Amino acid sequence: MGEDGESPKINHSFLRDYVTEADVISTVEFNQTGDLLATGDKGGRVVIFQRETESKDESEELGESGEYNVYSTFQSHEPDFDYLKSLEIEEKINKIRWLPQQNAAHFLLSTNDKTIKLWKVSERDKRPEGYNLKDEEGRIKDISTVTSLRVPVLKPTDLMVEVRPRRIFANGHTYHVNSISVNSDGETYLSADDLRINMWHLDITDRSFNIVDIKPANMEDLTEVITAAEFHPQHCHLFVYSSSKGTLRLCDMRESALCDKHSKIFEEPEDPGNRSFFSEIISSVSDVKFSHSGRYLLTRDYLTVKVWDLNMEKGPVETYQVHEYLRSKLCSLYENDCIFDKFECVWNSTDSVIMTGAYNSFFRMFDRETGRGVTLEAWRESSKPRAVLRTRRIYTGGRRRRGDVGVDSLDFTKKILHMAWHPAENIIAIAATNNLYIFQDRVNAENL
Amino acid sequence: MEYKVEAHRIMSISLGKIYNSRVQRGGIKLHKNLLVSLVLRSARQVYLSDYYSGACLNAQSEREGNEWDITDSEREKFPPSATECDRVESTEETQPNEQPEKEREYRENDDEVKSDQVDCTSTLQEQNQNSSLDSVAKVSSETPPESITEPKESPSDSAVAERDSTPEANGESHQPPKTHVCSNRKRSAEESESGDSPQKRTKVASSNAKEDEEAEEMDTSNVSNLITIFGSSFSGLLSKESAKPEAEAEDSGQICCDQMLKNLNPWSTAIVAF
Repeated sequence: MGEDGESPKINHSFLRDYVTEADVISTVEFNQTGDLLATGDKGGRVVIFQRETESKDESEELGESGEYNVYSTFQSHEPDFDYLKSLEIEEKINKIRWLPQQNAAHFLLSTNDKTIKLWKVSERDKRPEGYNLKDEEGRIKDISTVTSLRVPVLKPTDLMVEVRPRRIFANGHTYHVNSISVNSDGETYLSADDLRINMWHLDITDRSFNIVDIKPANMEDLTEVITAAEFHPQHCHLFVYSSSKGTLRLCDMRESALCDKHSKIFEEPEDPGNRSFFSEIISSVSDVKFSHSGRYLLTRDYLTVKVWDLNMEKGPVETYQVHEYLRSKLCSLYENDCIFDKFECVWNSTDSVIMTGAYNSFFRMFDRETGRGVTLEAWRESSKPRAVLRTRRIYTGGRRRRGDVGVDSLDFTKKILHMAWHPAENIIAIAATNNLYIFQDRVNAENL
Repeated sequence: MEYKVEAHRIMSISLGKIYNSRVQRGGIKLHKNLLVSLVLRSARQVYLSDYYSGACLNAQSEREGNEWDITDSEREKFPPSATECDRVESTEETQPNEQPEKEREYRENDDEVKSDQVDCTSTLQEQNQNSSLDSVAKVSSETPPESITEPKESPSDSAVAERDSTPEANGESHQPPKTHVCSNRKRSAEESESGDSPQKRTKVASSNAKEDEEAEEMDTSNVSNLITIFGSSFSGLLSKESAKPEAEAEDSGQICCDQMLKNLNPWSTAIVAF
C-alpha cells in the first residue's frame, strides 16, 4: 500500500454517501438503568454504548447528563446456512433485550432470524501480579531461580470489557424470529417467530416450551402471522402478541399450557370507507409495547400508532396519525416495498409521550395529554451537537410555510425504523440507517 | 374501467415480488409474501368481479353500454391470455395421482386463439367432469392441434391418458381432446377464467377477437413473460418448501364461473403456502 502520493487525487466524496449494508442499524435498546445502550446491525455486530457519568458535586443540577460513548463491540451472529433447506440465514440482529442486572456483569439477549444468544458483558480492571511460577509475561520460570514465595496481588489495570457468549438457544424456530421479551420473573423469556412463540428458561438451551402455535394444519389456510410479542412488565403470566391482521391477543399462561386460545383479543373493526387493495397490509401491526404501568398497549401499523387499554378490547383508546398523507400513495409505496417497512414505537418513562419513526429521517412524538404530535428530524446536516431540534412540517395543503417539506420530496430511503427511549429520563436513541442519534431533553435542566 | 387496469398492474407487481422473494437473502419471508398474496387476491377479486357482472349480462344478451365497453376491452386482453393456460410443471410435487390433473400447453399465437378458445371451452366441460385440479404451471410452446397426443406424452402419467379417454367417451372427440389445466397460477388462471367466459361470447361474435389480437399481444406479452418467469421459478419455490403441497382438490361439479373462481382461490393460497 505504498502509493501515498496518489491518494490525494482520489475523490472520496462518493464514499461518504455509500452506506455499507452491514452497517445499517437494525435494533436499539437501553438497559433497565439507561446507562447502557446496545445497537445491533445487519452485519451481526452489537455495539454497546455507555453513558459517561460526570463527576457529581453538590451543585449537580437535574437533567445534567453525560454522553454515550462506545463501551464494547462484538460480533454476535455470523451468517449461517441451513443445509437441510438450502437457505441462507442472515446474521442481521433482529432484537436485543437486556436482562435485569443482578451482579457486576451485564447480560443481554440478541437474536437473528433463527438463533438467540445470551451474552455476558463484564469489566475487568484488575489483574493479578506476582505469580511464583510465571513471570510478568506469562512464561514459566525456571524453578531453580525461585528463592522465595509471595502471594499474588491484584493490581489495577486498564479497563477491559469482556463479552462472552454464555448461552446459545438454537434450533427453536422454523420461521424467522421477530421478537424476544424477557419475563419479569427474571428466569424466562419468550421468542416469537411468524407462527410460533416459544418460552425458554435462561439456563436451559436444549429445550423450549411452545406456548403459541398458529400454524394451520394446511398451510394454504394461512391467513395471519405473528408480528411481535411481549411479556407484561409486571405480571409474569401475561403476554401479548400482535398479528398481521391488526389484532392483539393477550394470553394468560395460567389458563392453559398452550395459549392458542387468547384471554383477550383487541381489534378494531375496519373502516369500510378506507378500503383499498392495501388495507390488509397497512393494518398489519409492526410493533407492540406494553406501557411501563402495564395498563396500556402501544401498537404501530403502517399509518398510525394506537394506544389500547387492556380493559377495553373493542378498540383503541387513542389513535394518532403518523403520516396520513401517504394513504393516497399506497400503490407506489407497495411498488417500492416501503409499505412493508416495520416501524417501531416506544413509550417515554412516564407513559405520557409516545414516539415512532417515519420517512425522510423524520420521527414523530405524540403527547398523550394534549393529543398533539410533533415531527422531528434525525439528520446530520440539520442538527449540530447540542443544537435544539426544530420541529418540521409536511406540507399537505393550505398555507405553505418556509421549511415545509412536500410529500413528493420525501426521501423514502431514509426511514427511521428503530428507536429507544431511556427508561427514566428524556433521552432518546434514534437509528437512521447506519447512524445513531441520541437526543436529550434539557427542559428540566435548571440551567436552561 | 381504470381500476381494472390498476388491478391488473397490481397483480403483475405482486407476482414480481413473489418471484423476487425467492432470490432474496435470508430465505423467503413468510409475512411479506402473505401480505403480497393478499393484495394479489384482492386485486384479482376486483379484476374479476366486474368481469363476471359483465359476462352475466352479456350471456343474457341484455347489455348496458358500460358492460359492452368492459367486455370489449377485456376481450382485448383475454383471448390471447386464454392461450396461456399453463401447464403445471413439477408434477412430481403434486398430490399423488388420486387427483388426476389435466394439462395443456398453450402458446400465445394468433392462429391458435380461436382454436384455443374452442379448446378452452371443451376443456372446461372436461373440468366439470374432473374432481380435482392441480397447480404449478409452466408455459411451453406446443401447438394445440398436436396436443391430442400431448397428454400421453406428458410426464404426468397414465391418469392423464385416462383423462383423454373420458372426453372422447363423452363424445367430444370431434375436437382435439385437449386436456387443460386451469392452473392455480393466479395469472394464468384468471386469464383462462376470463378467457372462458369470453369464449362463450366470442363464439357468438368471434370477429372482434381477431381485430384485437394485436392489441392483446402487446398487452399480454408482459403477462406471458411473467408467467414464464414465474412458472419456472415457482417450481423451484415449491421444491424448497417441502411441507406445502401445491396440489389442491377442486370440485368440478360447478358451473364454470364458480369453478374458475374456485380454481383461483387455491392458487392464491398456494402462493402463501410455502
